[in-house]
Amino acid sequence: MIELANVSHQFIIGKKGKERVVPVLHDIDLKVAKGEIVAIVGRSGSGKSTLLNLMSGYIRPSAGEIKIGGRDVTKLSEGEWADFRLANYGFIFQSFQLIGSMTAYENVELPLVLKGITGAERKQRVMRLMEQIGIAEYGGHYPSELSGGQQQRVSVARSLILEPPIVLADEPSGSLDSENEKTLLTMIQQLNHEMGITFVIITHDEQVASIAHRAIRLQDGKLVHQSDYRQVAAHDEQHRSVAGVDYIRQGGERE
Amino acid sequence: MKLGDQFRFVRQNMKKNKTRLFMTVLATAMGCAFLIVLASVGFGLQQSIVDNIVGDRLVTGIDIYSKDPSKFKEDTNLYDADIKDLQAIPNVKAVTYRNFIGQWMEPTIDGEPVTGDRTFQVDFQAEERAGFSLSAGRMPQKNNEVILGYNIRQQRDDQGVPSEYKDASEWLNKTIVLNVGYYENGVLKKKPIEAVVAGISAKPTKEWKMDQALYVGVDLLGQVESITGTQRGELPYVEEGSTPEQIEELLKQLPAPGGDRNYIEVQVIAGHANDVKGISEVLREKGYFNHSIADELKQVNLMFLIMKIGLIFVGTIAVIIASIGIFNTMTMAVTERAQDIGIMKAIGAHPSVIRKIFLLESALIGIMGAVIGTIVSYGISFAVNAGLPVLIQTFMEEKVPDGFLFSVIPPYLTALACAIALGVAMLSGYRPALRATRIDVLRALRRDV
Ligand SMILES: Nc1ncnc2c1ncn2[C@@H]1O[C@H](COP(=O)(O)OP(=O)(O)O)[C@@H](O)[C@H]1O
Ligand SMILES: [Mg+2]
Repeated sequence: MIELANVSHQFIIGKKGKERVVPVLHDIDLKVAKGEIVAIVGRSGSGKSTLLNLMSGYIRPSAGEIKIGGRDVTKLSEGEWADFRLANYGFIFQSFQLIGSMTAYENVELPLVLKGITGAERKQRVMRLMEQIGIAEYGGHYPSELSGGQQQRVSVARSLILEPPIVLADEPSGSLDSENEKTLLTMIQQLNHEMGITFVIITHDEQVASIAHRAIRLQDGKLVHQSDYRQVAAHDEQHRSVAGVDYIRQGGERE
Repeated sequence: MKLGDQFRFVRQNMKKNKTRLFMTVLATAMGCAFLIVLASVGFGLQQSIVDNIVGDRLVTGIDIYSKDPSKFKEDTNLYDADIKDLQAIPNVKAVTYRNFIGQWMEPTIDGEPVTGDRTFQVDFQAEERAGFSLSAGRMPQKNNEVILGYNIRQQRDDQGVPSEYKDASEWLNKTIVLNVGYYENGVLKKKPIEAVVAGISAKPTKEWKMDQALYVGVDLLGQVESITGTQRGELPYVEEGSTPEQIEELLKQLPAPGGDRNYIEVQVIAGHANDVKGISEVLREKGYFNHSIADELKQVNLMFLIMKIGLIFVGTIAVIIASIGIFNTMTMAVTERAQDIGIMKAIGAHPSVIRKIFLLESALIGIMGAVIGTIVSYGISFAVNAGLPVLIQTFMEEKVPDGFLFSVIPPYLTALACAIALGVAMLSGYRPALRATRIDVLRALRRDV
């Protein structure tokens, strides 16, 4: 689904004539299969967000090639990237990134609006999804009138409304308390399970990493560790993954 | 993204800062109104000076003298077929002519003789369309209705000095008896035709001119011709003591009635002064010698054209100044909404959609400004036309002629001003819109972290 081959990235900072090159990622080779949940872990500043931003098309790699669903996206124009994002990606951000002047309903609706879907179909899809995610009653609320957990659920709904094959999430639980975090993780697992959505999740939270099929560790811009998390977890004394899966199984009943 | 949704976005955005929107629209409206009012003075003066003083009919009238002898060797006179030909030319409103009646039929009203100088057969319908002006009554609509010249009750003495004016309108709706002379067996006889005076022509604009004509329609001409048995009711010049046979001979030499009449004082009336040039060219091509006052007005109109262009140019500067406001507003709007734009781009809004939304917003400001500006300028124009003559009369003691308009707004001036306002608004919104599409996603997303 997602293939990175020899991807490197460096930022150029400073004024003209006094530029400084900041290398961030070095020779990343990474494959994410369809239906996988992949966690990217690593210390702050290790380049996780940069990696995800490359996949999102917000920045271009300095070297290497990125293929999404078999398509080389490295050379897409800005407009092509926009259409590509709309068609293939859902995004969940740490700080939700809801549009403050729009209601929860309008925020969820936005991708449909951008896609040019109108009328009854649009309304129906938004209503159904908001009900599924349990935010139907907040439809008329503005983001500032919602709690962090509610906002994140709105943003999840927005990321899913077009039923994208891939969801990219940068520290999705970073602004949530543990209760809301658990709900979010349940949701991710369910979506992955039921709809086969591929997730790439950046986190420094072990709890989040525990729901992943695989964790990738970044250190100083290099991939140091790729592991099947469940394999690793089998040897893990704390059995986090098992605990996580258990929780998710019960999640539906608890909610 | 559908246009309806784009409009919804724009409306939502506009609601966010109503005061700013209001001020921007106000500035645009003022610029637009300034442009229209300023230019309308050029249009008004041109219309008032050219059209009113020279006279509408003269400006649109094209005199046809004859046909070009190099093309029509045999006969350069104008006949029925030519009148039809002239009527068929595009943009021709009417074709008028005068057709002399061959005798003064010694008309009487209430037994009093009517002492005019000639009888014209005219096409009343064409005359009406051409703007034949009356001082009293109406244009004939039925058969046997006639028009009297304004000065028909006046006479000139041997030195050409006219007698005192007598009001012809007293004869309105009275029966006029035309005594048509004709020869029967060599004897001159009279046969009366009764007609009704439907109207009195307008006072001639030139002091020295007198209108002492009697105007009749084609129906009356027909009746006259059937009585005399000659074309246009003409009678032969009969010498004293001619025999009936000689008179018969003379009568035979005259053209037969109803045949191909030939017309004089043919005038083609254009639908609009602007059409005159085109029509003259067509006429020249068809081989009609013609002349119009428009030929001479070219110079005057050119001067007004330059004046109007100058005024529109100055007015456009006002719109451009207003556009600085639009630019400012749109730039601020883009800055304020940078984060929202960033989010939209992040989830997949195409840059062209973002550009369209902002262009639409500046276009809407332009349209609102243009509409309000247009309404206001019509109001100002009306006020100027109503108020300025009064002011001039009070303070300068000079009378403004009746119907003199200082400000005229032709529809195409409105269209032009709106197009300029809209164009300038779009132009000034273009850079901010472009800036919006270039907003960096990551920087916008990072802002609130
Ligand atoms: N726009 C940028 N310009 C310059 N340096 C950047 C930029 N974005 C990130 N970096 C640098 O790249 C490195 C990795 O950043 P990031 O990918 O955000 O790390 P993480 O998400 O793992 O915390 C950091 O050292 C950071 O300073
Ligand atoms: Mg990060």
